[in-house]
Amino acid sequence: MRSNRAVRVMASIAGLSALTLVAACGGSPSQGAQDSGPTKAEKVFAKLSKLSGDEREKELVKEAEAEGGQLDLYTSMTSDVADAVTEAFSDKYDIDVNLYRASSETVLQRILQESGANFNGNDVVETDALEMYDLNKEKLLADYEGEGRDKVAEDGRFDGWTADRYNLFTPSWNTKMVPKGQQPTSWEDLADPKWDGKLAMELSDYDWYLTLREYWLKQGKSEDEVDKLFEDMADGAKIVKGHTVMGELLSAGQFAVASSNYSYLVQQVADKGAPVAYQPLVEPVIVRPNGFGLMKTAKHPATAMLFADWLLGDGQKALVEEGLTPTVPPPGTKNVLESVETVDVDVETLGEEEKKWSDRYDKLVENGTVVDQ
Amino acid sequence: MASVTTMLRSAGRADAAGWRRFVPTPKVLIVGAVIVVIGYLAVVPLYYLLWGTFFGADGFSLAGFGRAYGNDRIVGLVGNSLWFAFGAAILSLVVGTGLAYLQVRTDVPFKSLFFAASIIPLIIPGILYTIAWIFLASPDIGLINAALKPIFGGAVVDVFTVWGMIWVEGLHLSPLVFLLMVAAFRSMDPSLEESALMSGASRWTVFRRVTVPLVRPAIVAAVLIMTVRSLESFEVPALLGLQNGIYVFTSRIYFTLRTYPPDLPAAGALATGLLMIAIVGVALSSLAGRGERTYQTITGKGFRPRPMELGRWKPVAGAAIVLYFALTVVLPLLVLVYTSFLKFYRAPSKDMLTSLTLENYQDLIHTSSAMTALKNSVLLGVGSATIVMALMAIAAWIVVRSRIPGRKLLDHLSFLPLVVPGLVLGLALSFVYLRSPIPIYGTLFILLIAYVTRYLPYGMRYAVTSMHQIASELEESAQVSGASWWQSFRRVLLPLLAPGLVAGWIYILVVSFRELSSSILLYSPGKEVLSILIFEQFENGQFPVLAALGVVMVLTLVVLVSVAYKLGAKVGLKQD
Amino acid sequence: MLTIDHLVKSFEGEKLKRRKRKQAQQSQQGDDALPSRVFAVNDVSLEVQTGELFTLLGPSGCGKTTTLRSIAGLETPDSGTITVDERVLFSAKGSNGNGRAVNVPANKRELGMVFQSYAIWPHMSVFDNVAFPLQVKPRNQRPGKAEIEQRVHRVLETMELRKYADRQATKLSGGQQQRLALARAIVIEPSLLLLDEPLSNLDAKLRESLRYELKRLQRELGITSIYVTHDQIEALALSSHVAVMREGNVVQLGKPRDIYQNPRSKFVAEFIGTSNFIPGTVASSDGGHYSVETTEGRLTLESAASMPAGTEVVASIRPECVGLHTERPGNVPNVWEGKVTTRAFLGDAVDHVVVVGKHEIRARCAPTVSVEPGTTVFLHLEDDKLSLVPID
Repeated sequence: MRSNRAVRVMASIAGLSALTLVAACGGSPSQGAQDSGPTKAEKVFAKLSKLSGDEREKELVKEAEAEGGQLDLYTSMTSDVADAVTEAFSDKYDIDVNLYRASSETVLQRILQESGANFNGNDVVETDALEMYDLNKEKLLADYEGEGRDKVAEDGRFDGWTADRYNLFTPSWNTKMVPKGQQPTSWEDLADPKWDGKLAMELSDYDWYLTLREYWLKQGKSEDEVDKLFEDMADGAKIVKGHTVMGELLSAGQFAVASSNYSYLVQQVADKGAPVAYQPLVEPVIVRPNGFGLMKTAKHPATAMLFADWLLGDGQKALVEEGLTPTVPPPGTKNVLESVETVDVDVETLGEEEKKWSDRYDKLVENGTVVDQ
Repeated sequence: MASVTTMLRSAGRADAAGWRRFVPTPKVLIVGAVIVVIGYLAVVPLYYLLWGTFFGADGFSLAGFGRAYGNDRIVGLVGNSLWFAFGAAILSLVVGTGLAYLQVRTDVPFKSLFFAASIIPLIIPGILYTIAWIFLASPDIGLINAALKPIFGGAVVDVFTVWGMIWVEGLHLSPLVFLLMVAAFRSMDPSLEESALMSGASRWTVFRRVTVPLVRPAIVAAVLIMTVRSLESFEVPALLGLQNGIYVFTSRIYFTLRTYPPDLPAAGALATGLLMIAIVGVALSSLAGRGERTYQTITGKGFRPRPMELGRWKPVAGAAIVLYFALTVVLPLLVLVYTSFLKFYRAPSKDMLTSLTLENYQDLIHTSSAMTALKNSVLLGVGSATIVMALMAIAAWIVVRSRIPGRKLLDHLSFLPLVVPGLVLGLALSFVYLRSPIPIYGTLFILLIAYVTRYLPYGMRYAVTSMHQIASELEESAQVSGASWWQSFRRVLLPLLAPGLVAGWIYILVVSFRELSSSILLYSPGKEVLSILIFEQFENGQFPVLAALGVVMVLTLVVLVSVAYKLGAKVGLKQD
Repeated sequence: MLTIDHLVKSFEGEKLKRRKRKQAQQSQQGDDALPSRVFAVNDVSLEVQTGELFTLLGPSGCGKTTTLRSIAGLETPDSGTITVDERVLFSAKGSNGNGRAVNVPANKRELGMVFQSYAIWPHMSVFDNVAFPLQVKPRNQRPGKAEIEQRVHRVLETMELRKYADRQATKLSGGQQQRLALARAIVIEPSLLLLDEPLSNLDAKLRESLRYELKRLQRELGITSIYVTHDQIEALALSSHVAVMREGNVVQLGKPRDIYQNPRSKFVAEFIGTSNFIPGTVASSDGGHYSVETTEGRLTLESAASMPAGTEVVASIRPECVGLHTERPGNVPNVWEGKVTTRAFLGDAVDHVVVVGKHEIRARCAPTVSVEPGTTVFLHLEDDKLSLVPID
């Protein structure tokens, strides 16, 4: 009798909460977004895209002001870069930027959550290629046209998004632990047993893994040869989570060589006087674009577009000042990528087969061996 | 709404007025409200978790379990998780209990160190604490290894092992045990021990046969919380375990959730595994905690706690305290402070000392978000700690004292959030409140809800443990004296609970400052908190700035905690 | 003043609960077959007069404390009625005339209670402890601050605690704490004072002195009191009436002297004081005059009990009522011859154990009497001191 009542009381609580939930959501947590005709923001984008030059900037500034001078930006730039970029933009146009900053996966997750609930949290998103690709696949990004986008190299113009900077994967080393001349000169060098216990790999660099793998295969290496190279690399390697940590631990001497760090992060540490280097560059440099997109549901579409135009124009200077590699090198700056061999990350393969490659990479760094599925 | 009335009615029936028709007295209203709030807070994320686990886009499915567990990794995963969790729990229990005993019940020297030793490790965020230990005990760059190398000719300690993880997590958790156990020892009548001593038992026997059984409810609670906390901990397994491929549940969940599209069923399946382990834990602990009622030790009879003299063991105990203090407080803090004056991290050397700089602190002052974050963190910490402890004071009464049917379930219910990983909680709350008609999403309130939910279990443990130690006659005598339920609760129970409530409040305040995993998904521009800032600096690799931020955070909390102690001492049971 | 009518209170026993569950699993009908509850109080009825000190006496687990807690409102009885001064405090549905259930909450009963552990609030001063019951009265009945102070001080004065008013309550000695608990209970001048083994936590000397103090206070204040104890000496010394309880029932109710001299059962005789028990069979009865056949011969005695001839009975006699003579007393009935085996000096008396046949009979004599063990003696079991109780 008593226990029956206990069950009933608790059942009421559960029922009540469940009711609230169902009333509040009316759907399963794994539901996706819906597709319908052009949104209000898309119409604004289409209208403004027709303009160009000063006329365009003037019109954008005017409308941005009418929109309240606010911009909601979600990005995965590191906070110092994000702060510098938003500050430069605010200074020029007197627009307040509301910045949400998190890792690229979190940015993606947040936008998916918000769009699933028809909550318009942001106007612009700026993050890694893979997440941008996914966002476009979710049909959340609006088309963006303009002179700025036209200046970006062909392979940086994607459906729904545009690259604004490149991350360059390249090996880096601690100059105290690796004497001059002893540093790796090719990607294959990293498989050398002399680096056992001294090489670090990043925990989730499957984009790098996929690209290097494809490059080697294209070069004529067999699958087995390539797998062997990666296995030898992973054998005895230290696994680090996060590229910045990688740079910091490299400068502290936790390991001698980092396989796949971003060049600008190493540069940042080196600028502070740490004994790290990544030049002479190991070729080919693996290039992964980072891009931005305008949200179909932007609350401030003109402001969003103004930011996009600016980011591919004056904004590129701000990126260079922070040590990043711009997609539209401002006049007077040296284009690092001009003189070296590069290979682009295959964004489409990555987006479509993400699970497969991340699992393979997981296995590689976990067991030191790759097993075909 | 029907369910609310049903519930209130059954609450009313258990009231002494149960024979009358239902009239909503303040007692029924308050108790009902607390049950509803706790039930709501606990069930929402769980509902989301289970729904997401079992119901994908195509209806009911167990595929998530297949993806989560369906490979050879699972044995290692469960094994590592349990090994790590139990190890850390045992280490923290032994260290924390020992120290609490020394502090409360003996004339051990250096008592003033305890305050710092019990709080500072809690304040240092897990990321910082773990990194500090990497700098101390990494086989390659660890300062300890560097110092011992000439003697042993190689690396002596390696933090990148399960033992290393246990060491760091256990030490990091030990202050929590210390706080829990101090409250328990404080409320214990020393004559119980003295009588055992007089019976001819040695001190050790007394401790083992009398003291430990008397504080058993607190110990059981501590083991349970520490084990589940370690299971749920993320920083230590991520920073120390991954390097050598040691995976635990949380690191696996993290990676499962990061993929696109987020594999909620698989992450949920892993979280459900955690839930199962925790349920077993709760079952075992309630088995071990049977007969708790007989251990009410704050009775109406007065006692004067008189410290036990340690005699010739005094120097030994003193040395142990100093060692513990050095390990948990001085070393990590020193590394932190040292790093905060650097441009980039390097091992200490002569030329290093000349290049120390205050730049990092200047950076902080000039970062506008730093002040906002500090303010938000203080608001959230104080708010969530106060709400949780207020709710839990009532909830503990319901669980321990009332005869409301299903009261034990309330206890278990408030325990649930412990096993919902922060990431999943963040997902759940954003999912629910994005769709809620009340505009909570994008405000500080959603963070407040997240924090309150996450810290319900700790609040419950603190409050229930304290409530168990108050003899029911103290409440009954107030009742017979004519006090209404609320009067006796406010004037008799609350002051007697105060030491436990204050301890819980402080704990929640402190840990709320480092909450990251659900904050990261829920915060909005302008609503940053300190932990987010720290995480950003970490992602930026700005260890020095991060360290400076850590130092500021530690100082802020030290001030807040000192104030809380002062205030708590005023309302609580006076101790001499 | 206080009337308790057919009070019943049962608990679901842990052991029973488990057994019941098991049974229920094994067979569907098993559920009803077993008694599922333990009856702590099983149909108790009492009447307490104004101004008297009424004692519930019995061994632990007899239901005396449950009865007291039911009066206080700390337990909810299953059925029965509790009335104080015409005010119905508790009445299960159908127990009183109009069939409406009544259960006044403990805090509305306006009774005073002293707990076994005193239940002194350790976080309050002596003054605050005593002032509390006045401070928590409903607003319209609450006395002013000055009056509270005055009343508290008056009570503290009575209890000789005046000078400790500002002291932390836990800093008092045991006896002072007991007086503090009493002060707190009587400060609202309750119509009924409940005392739950208030002396059991004190040492013997203090207990004795407080026992008389309690009696004096009770008489001076004239508060009707219910006193729960397992100590028969306390009960005899303090009470105007005693109810002896056993397993949830009142087995005998009466004045202390009556109960002592005429226990109506072996249990009562044994529980209150020491007794010699001599089993036998009723040979004949004649209006209170009984003749009982025992193995050592026939005993004649007076008893109000009604036992037909042939009933198996026990004759009981207190040791101090057994006459011990070195020579056979002349011309009196009930004289048995025996041999002294042990002797114990108690200060105010000397106990002799005398073996008569296969019985051991204890005789308590004045300290001036002392008989060597081994001596043959004659025991005189006076017929009006012997009482007859049924075999349990």
